[in-house]
Parts: sequence; structure tokens; C-alpha cells
Amino acid sequence: MNSTDAAVRQISITHDTGYGYASPVSLAHHLAHLQPLHDAHQQVQHFDIDIEPRPAQRRDSTDALGNAQCHFSLAHPHRRLSVRATSLVQVQARFEALDASRSPAWDSVARSLQYVACSPLQPELEYALPSPYVPRLAELRGYAAPLFPPGRPLAQAALALMQCMHQDFRYESESTDIDTPLAQAFAQRSGVCQDFAHLMAGALRMLGLPARYVSGYLLTQPAEGQAPMLGADASHAWVQVWCPGTAGVPVEGPGAGWLDLDPTNNLVPASSHVRVAVGRDFGDVTPLRGVIRGGGRHTLHVAVTTSDTGLPALPIAAA
Amino acid sequence: MPDFPTQRQTQGHTERQTERQSQSALPFGNVGRDAAALAAAHLLQHQALPAEPGVWDELRTPAGGLRPGWQSFARHLQAAHGVAVGADMNRRVAQVAQQIRLDGVTHNVFSEGGVASRPWSLELLPMIIQPTDWAAIETGVVQRAELLQAMLVDLYGQGPNSQRLLHDGLLPPALLWRHPGWLRPMRAVVPPGGRHLYIVAFDLARGPDGRWWVVSQRTQGPSGLGYVLHNRLVISRQFPDAFRDLRVQHIASSYRRLLDTLEQAAAQVAGSDTPRVVLLTPGPYSETYFEHAYLARYLGLPLVEGGDLTVRGERLFLKTVDGLEPVHGLLRRLDDDWCDPLELRPDSALGVPGLLQAARAGSVVMANALGSAFLESPAIQGFLPAIARRLTGQELQLPALPTWWCGEAAARQDVAGKLDGKFLRSTFPRDGRTSQVHEAAQADIAGDPDAWTVQGRLRFSRTPIWNEGALLPRPAMVRVYAIADAAGRWHVVPGGMTRVAQREDSSVSMQRGGSSLDTWVLTDGPVDTFSMLPPRLSVDDIASRRGPVSSRTAESLFWLGRYTERSEHLVRLARATLMLVNTDNGTTPAILQALSSLAVRSGLVPVGVPTLAQAPHLFERAVLAGLAAETGAHSVAYNLAALEHSGQVLRERLSSEQWGLIRAVREVFTQALATPVGSLPTLAQVLPALDRVALKLAAITGTQTDRMTRDHGWRLLAVGRLLERLIGLSGTLQAFIDAGALHSAAGIDLVLELFDSVITYRARYQRHEDLLALTDMLVLDSTNPRALTGVLRRLRNEVAKLPGGDEATQPLLAELPAIGAGLSLESLRNADDAHIAAALRQLTGTLAETAARLAEGISARYFTLSQGLDQRV
Repeated sequence: MNSTDAAVRQISITHDTGYGYASPVSLAHHLAHLQPLHDAHQQVQHFDIDIEPRPAQRRDSTDALGNAQCHFSLAHPHRRLSVRATSLVQVQARFEALDASRSPAWDSVARSLQYVACSPLQPELEYALPSPYVPRLAELRGYAAPLFPPGRPLAQAALALMQCMHQDFRYESESTDIDTPLAQAFAQRSGVCQDFAHLMAGALRMLGLPARYVSGYLLTQPAEGQAPMLGADASHAWVQVWCPGTAGVPVEGPGAGWLDLDPTNNLVPASSHVRVAVGRDFGDVTPLRGVIRGGGRHTLHVAVTTSDTGLPALPIAAA
Repeated sequence: MPDFPTQRQTQGHTERQTERQSQSALPFGNVGRDAAALAAAHLLQHQALPAEPGVWDELRTPAGGLRPGWQSFARHLQAAHGVAVGADMNRRVAQVAQQIRLDGVTHNVFSEGGVASRPWSLELLPMIIQPTDWAAIETGVVQRAELLQAMLVDLYGQGPNSQRLLHDGLLPPALLWRHPGWLRPMRAVVPPGGRHLYIVAFDLARGPDGRWWVVSQRTQGPSGLGYVLHNRLVISRQFPDAFRDLRVQHIASSYRRLLDTLEQAAAQVAGSDTPRVVLLTPGPYSETYFEHAYLARYLGLPLVEGGDLTVRGERLFLKTVDGLEPVHGLLRRLDDDWCDPLELRPDSALGVPGLLQAARAGSVVMANALGSAFLESPAIQGFLPAIARRLTGQELQLPALPTWWCGEAAARQDVAGKLDGKFLRSTFPRDGRTSQVHEAAQADIAGDPDAWTVQGRLRFSRTPIWNEGALLPRPAMVRVYAIADAAGRWHVVPGGMTRVAQREDSSVSMQRGGSSLDTWVLTDGPVDTFSMLPPRLSVDDIASRRGPVSSRTAESLFWLGRYTERSEHLVRLARATLMLVNTDNGTTPAILQALSSLAVRSGLVPVGVPTLAQAPHLFERAVLAGLAAETGAHSVAYNLAALEHSGQVLRERLSSEQWGLIRAVREVFTQALATPVGSLPTLAQVLPALDRVALKLAAITGTQTDRMTRDHGWRLLAVGRLLERLIGLSGTLQAFIDAGALHSAAGIDLVLELFDSVITYRARYQRHEDLLALTDMLVLDSTNPRALTGVLRRLRNEVAKLPGGDEATQPLLAELPAIGAGLSLESLRNADDAHIAAALRQLTGTLAETAARLAEGISARYFTLSQGLDQRV
């Protein structure tokens, strides 16, 4: 299941979003989550957002979940908007030493999150709760339950769930859009990477386990001799499941305890996955959204190109 | 009251009350008055149906005597000489209902069929609260308001000391993180002055033990303050003597304090600008829109909807006819999650995109700040005692309903299998509504324990209502309001909104058909007689109080003017047409042609109906059929409906008199024309109805001309009206000229009637049927308010005074003839009738184009800011 991926890569990403409007937009407010995360395992060496026409106002900040965000607004009439985010990111594989069998029992982790008066806070609980795009769905509990017998190591069960989903669900572009309810994607057993991520997070949460939605990119060019991966020409999405104390999962830093799993491709992300933002679901980390006045009908064009620069990796400071 | 240990206390009360009752029986002066008072006391004491055993009776002591407040009240319940108390009460109930209708006090109720606007339901008798009871409520409510503010500071705060409540396990994090009212984008944002809450409401009820209990709390724009005010106005008028002698506390200073607090807070963020505070409403379809409009008017704040506001560069602005005006304070009646479609509910069309950015930048004060909605969850109540101890070191003085949040295993086990006599409520909002009561059998508690909260059932005290000759006990709940002052101290409005259930056994809710009571809080001390009118205003105050006119309001006023005028025109035309069909007094084919084309052009009959000359009765039937159809784009009924709609969105600007007339005119017309399905109204129905409508429209016009402040908004109303008159009159004249209908006395009579100028013409020209005289009367005479010259002169005057100075008004004025109507008496010297007709034909054609261009110009200059729709991409 682990891909045979390079230990370190430098990846260059260009993410273009273009809107075209049938009539002029007099005022637009936008919010972007386009800047990749910067932490011990992933360094952003260059990042830039180029907005055309030039926005009247722009503010870069960090959201409540720790992601970089950018608000900008345009107050002059415009008929098109293009946003180009360019990133140069150095990525190290994080889970090469993963040993899923050396992981705490999933049910003990779930139990440790239950509220008892005056007990200390577990911040990861936030990701075990339902969220707007991932409401509670009893069917998901039923789907995952056979893979989670009492006492099974959490990472092992989570990997099994990923594999199972990869078998049972078809990746079908345009079979859903972002407003397709979770229940429908589950019923039709197909969807795009957002659906895979939402469904897997939903199943884990129904068992009381924290799972995060990761918005990111996937390297377009496959490693030599491998099939191209799905979801490579657009933004990609996968999940992180909270596996504290699991062998091979980082124990320090912002991502400590979180194990990345890509159910669309049935693999543990290594150095070909670039993390942009993590949240409860798509709604927390939508790459680009806006509310505009006027505009009439609009067209949306998104293009992502990623490439391995092939440059020798720079030395990385110890985490 | 076997469940409660405070029996002794209650008994103590009883003894004291029996004593006082004997005192009140002493004769005082006037024997007749005394006899009447005795009758009233007797009625209250003996004819009121008893409250069921085991609940607190607000009216009587367990021994059967009246409680002190009611004893005093009874002394004033005397009817006019010779009228029985019961009959007098019935009369007063009718007066209250009448007042509510007159003032247009409504409450929107949602059902499957949509939104229905119901008259507000207000009981005649007040809820009376004794000074000692109130003192306990006041302390307890202030303490709880302080606590909620402290919780928000802790939970939204940043830094190592923030969120102590979560870190110490005093508040289950799921109650925050799973609640849609916990707003992540507001984390670490300190609102201006550190103040999250300005107004908090608590629903209280008195239990069988005589203590007041907290049933729920509201922090997101709690509703009711407007209704409280209106209830007071109506009921204190019914019992002025009792109101004075019982020493009922006045509530006006609380509203003043709210305004002061907001204005001072807004001044802090306004810098060198004049601080501006507005009231943000979801709009006319909101449940409590009436009170938003009422409160806005009382407080002197502009009433705005999300679409009236815009965020530019992290600052909030109001879109006005003068351009963008900064806004520094929002008294918010729009729920949190609807406030900004960019970062909160994306499907909200009611909010202001970018508002969160303004809030984070600290450029706007919101009362209340965004993010408090999770405090409304019933589950919170169970954790408040421990939180109070930690944050304030105090025990809560007002008890709350016993509460078990099922997400805590220990609590869940406590109530497992013991749900009888308790409520099961959803912890989080469902289907857009705050926590609701559920049937235990239908809830899968084990499947999702976090989502459920169990609360103990409190048997509410019973207060009397007067219902068709009977005094009935009803369960009562009082909503009281705490308001912060500029220094952050809390004050409780000495009054509140009492609601009673419709039936003895049902729950208390206005949505479910409950009713409200004025709440009389008695005092032992002096009564604060503050009136909302400030003592003396400075020049600056006056300048800043001249409110801005939002683009949307201006557009609605413009259309209010147009619809009023257009309705008048249509009514006159319909009347003339129907009269003509039924007389054959000198009618010529040319007249029939003129009227037919006019009727088609103004929408009175559909295109394609045979003309009056071809088939008079078919035509008549088409007119009758069209009158009442609200769907026809130009029918009378459609215009009256449009008039009402324009009025509806302008509630805070219209006097209750004008609004009453606007609603009445449509009602009168609809009722008068009601017919069984498939049949047409008869002429005998229609003609008097048209007359009544014409009278009411004249009255509306009167209130518009005489009773409205002549600000920019009124100016646009006037321009709308004049523009519509120009269109109507020039169109009428054109139709008569084109048809050659002005050669006969009947034709001239008719056109004069349509111009409403018969009397002036006859006074001046007696029975001359002269085209030149007619032209002078209808076109050239600037003293005739309905002559085209007169209309254009006033139009020029009003357009010149529109906002924006010469730069804005000059291009608009350029559309109008520079002087007169563009035709002079001199130019018609020696002209024969054919020449005059040709000149009039050209003139009316030009004026029709002028009117269309002017309307476009005004819309482009003044209304564009309010136009267009938001969409998310």
C-alpha cells in the first residue's frame, strides 16, 4: 500500500482559477486557501498569489485551524477574474517507518475522547464531531463496523477501511458536485476525491475517531513505471486519521499524531502529496470562493499543474 | 406542591396577604367608587377559575384572598357609571384589539403555506410582579448576564489563559465545536471594548415554590423589546390610574440606555466620523418584523436590511442616495449564521458579504457580537453553576431547570429510563430552529447522545386572563432583558414580555398561538418618569439625527409615489369607462375609441378585447373581470397589492395612519369585489367600491403630502408621483386627440373628468366647448395641479432638490422642458382646431418619452447601489 516514492522532492505547483461573468460584477469578496502548509515535513520555498484585475483590498492571515488564508475584494466592475497561485514546496515522506500493527486499540482512543467532568481537554475531539459537509450518517457506521472489531490497532483498521473504500467506491469525475449530500455519494458508491475524503472521515467519526480533511495537490507525473494517480489535474483531497502513539507517525509538531491516508488512490501519502490546508471538511478549506454582486451566469475554469523540479533536495532542518 | 421544600415560605406569604386584604376593605371616601371597586375585587377573587392545585397562582393566595398587587389593581377596575365590570372589561378588550389593528402590530407566523401575518395577540390584564420578587430577579439576571459575557471572553479569547473552561473540563467541548453557533472565524477576535454582549434575554417562570426559574436564555438579537414597548403603550392607557397608583416602573430609560451604550461604543470605533448606528433586520418576512420597524423608529435608528449595507476595505457602509455612508454600530436582529455568506451560511441572502472582515478589523460594534449562539443550547444550563463558581466565584442566585446533557455518560445514566415528567430537547439547532422539544420515544438517544438534552419540567405559575366574560388561569413565562451600559454594568429592563399559553395545558410560545401580556413591575421607591425625548438637543445632535436614506428605501418610496398615483388614475379611468357603457348620453364613436385605447394602454382590459364601439358589454365584462385580478400586470388590484408591498418594506417610515390606509384600501377593494368563483362582480358592487377606493387613495395622498418629513426619501416619493401623473395625463390627452374625441361636449366633459379638472373648467369657461380653452386648462395653466405645465413645474422643483447637487440633478433636469410644458399660449394664436390638435399630439408624444428617460435617469443615479443580487461563486 505504501507507494515507492522518493524520500524528498521539490514540487512546483501552478493553480489557476478563472471566472468569466456574463454581466459586470460590481463588488466581489473572495476567500482563498491556496498557500501550502509550512511545517517540519513540508517547506514552502516560494509562494505567490497573482490576482487580475488587481483587488481593492487584500489581507493575508491564519485561520482558526492554523491554515494560511487570503481575503481579497474587488470594488470595480469586472467581467472576469483570474487567480494564479504558484508554489514551490519541498516535501519529505513522513510515514516510511509506519508500522500499523503498533498502534493503540481504536476503541480505547474513541473512549478517551468522551467527556467526563473536569477531565483535561483533547483538542483532536473537534475532528471527531460532525461538520457541515460531513453530517452523521448511520450507514457509514454500519459500513465501517466490521473492520473495527474491539481492540484492533487503530492504524491497521484505518488502512483496512481505506482499502475497502477504494474497492467499493468508483472514482468518477463529475459524478458529484460539492453540494451533493454525503448520503447520496454513499448510496451511489461513487464520487470524486472530496467525496472519498468526506466519506472516510464520516465513517471514522461515526466510530468516535478524529479525522481531518486535507486539501492539497498531487504530483502529476507518476514515478517511473507506475500508473498516473487519480485527482492529479486539479486540487486533491484526502484524510488524516488521528493515530497517537502509532509507530512511524510523527509525535511532535503541528501534524503530530495524524496519519495521512488517500482513499481515492488507496495509499499512504509520501512525497508526492502537497498539503495545502487541513480542516473539518471542504467548507473549512475551500481553495477559492467568493460572493459577488451581479455577474449573471458565470463560467469557472480551474487548472492545476504540478511538476517535480528534479532539483536536489535542500538539507532539511531537523523537526 | 408536594415536590418542593419551600412550603413554609409560601404559607408565610399567605398570612401577610390576608392581613393586607382586610386593610384594603376599609372604606375610602366615595361610596360609589368603593362599591364598584368591591365588585371588581369580588369578580377577581371569586369568579376567576381556580388554578390547578399545586401550581403557584399569581392572582390569589392559597387562602383565597387576592395577592397585594391585584388588590390594588381591583380598586381601579371600576367601570363608567352603571356599567357592569364584566361589560367594561369586554369593551376594553375590544379597544385593545382595535388599537393593535390600527397600529398594524403583527407577528409573522410560518406554516406550510408560507408566511402569514397575524395581528399581535395582547391580553387586557397585565402580569403583576411585586418589588421583592423583582429584586430577586434583577440580581439573578445581572449575575447571569455577567457570567455569559465572561464565558465568551474566555472561550473566544486567545493565549495561554484562554479557554480555561475547556481545559479544565467545565464545559464539554462538543457543546462548542458541534454547535453551528460557535464561529471559528471569530476566535481570537476581541470585539470593540472587549464587550461581546449588550442585550441578553432570559425566559423566566415561577415554580410552585414561588421562586423564579430560568427556562432558557437568548443572546443572538433577542426578540420582544419592541412588543414590550407597544404592549406597555396600549395597556397603560387602559388602566391609567392603576398604572400610576401601583407604582409601575417605567421602561423608557432602559431603551435610552441601550441607545447610549451603542452610540458610545460606536463613537469609539468611529474615530473622527460621526458615529452611526443602524438596526439590521432580516426583512419583512421575519417573524418579528413589526417590532424591528417599531424599535427602529422609537430609537431613531435607520432600519436596514443586509442588502442596504456593504463592506469596502474592511469597513461597513450604508448604501444611500448620497452614496456610501460609514456605519459603526449594528443593533442586530439577524441571527449570526446569516450575517456573512462568504464565511458563514453560504446560502444566506440576508447578510452582508465581508461583514466578518469588518468585525475582525474592529471597525464595527455589533450588539451582540457574532458567536454567542451556542449559549442558547439548553445543554449549557447544566454546566453553568460550576462555571459560575470558577469564573466569578459565585453561586447562581436564580435556579435553572435541572438539565442533563446526554453526552456525559454519568448524566445519561442518571436519567436513563426516567424521562417521565421531563422534556427531551435537541442540544443543537435542528432545521434552522433553536432547540426543540421532542418525544422521547422518537429520539435515538443512544445513537447520538451528544445531540440530546433532558430537562426537568417546571409547572409554571398561573396568571389570569380575561376571556369573554371569564377570568381564566394561564401558565405564564416572562422574558426579561438585561442591557449593558457603556461601563459594562448590567441593568435589567423593569418590565418584560410575558407570554401565556392559549390553553391551560399547552406550552408557552407565540409561534404556537400564545398570547402576550404587559408586565408590570411594581416598586416601593419613586417611579422613574423619564421619557424617551431627550431634554435638549445640540446643533450637532440635530445634524447627525437627520437620517440617511438608503437606496433601497428611496426606491421603495419612489414606487410608493408611483403606485399611489397610478392607482388613482386607474380607478378614475375604470369608473369613467363603466359609467359610459351604461349611459348613452351624447357618446360618440370617437369617445368610445379614445376610452378603449386608453383602457388597453393602461392595462384595464387585455389587448385584443373588442372595443367599446364594437361590443360594449363584452368590453364591460372585460373591465369587471380585470379589476380584481391581482395577477394582471396593471389592473387596479395589482396596483393596490403593489402599493401595499411598497408600504410593507417602508414600515418604519410610514405613520401608522398611512400604513393603515394603505392596507385598508386593498382590503376594502378585495372585499367589495368578492364574488363566487366563476362569476363577475356586478356594477352595483363595483361602482361604490371604486368610490370608496378613490376616497381612501385621496386620504393616502393627503398623508403623503402633509404628514411626511420632506427629506430625500420624500422627494423621491414626490418625483415618483409626479412622473406617474405626467405619464397618465399625457397618455390620456394623447388618446383623446388621436381618436378625435374632443369635438363634442361629452368628450370634453370626459377628459376633464379624467384630469379631475371639471370644476375649475366650468367655473372659468362655463359651458364653452372650446379646444383652446381646454388646452389652456389641461396643458398651460400652471396653477392647475393637474395641468401638464403645473406637473412639470413641480417636477422641476423637486428634481432640483434631489441629493447629489448640480452634478446629479442637472442631467435629470435637462430631460424636462426648460419652462412650461414646451408649448405656449402665444404659439397657438390664430391656430385652428386642427393645428391645436397637431401641437397637442406632438407635445404628448414628447412628454411620454421625457417621462421614460427621466425614470431611467433617476434609477441609474439613485437606486443602482441597491440593485443586483448577490451570488456565490
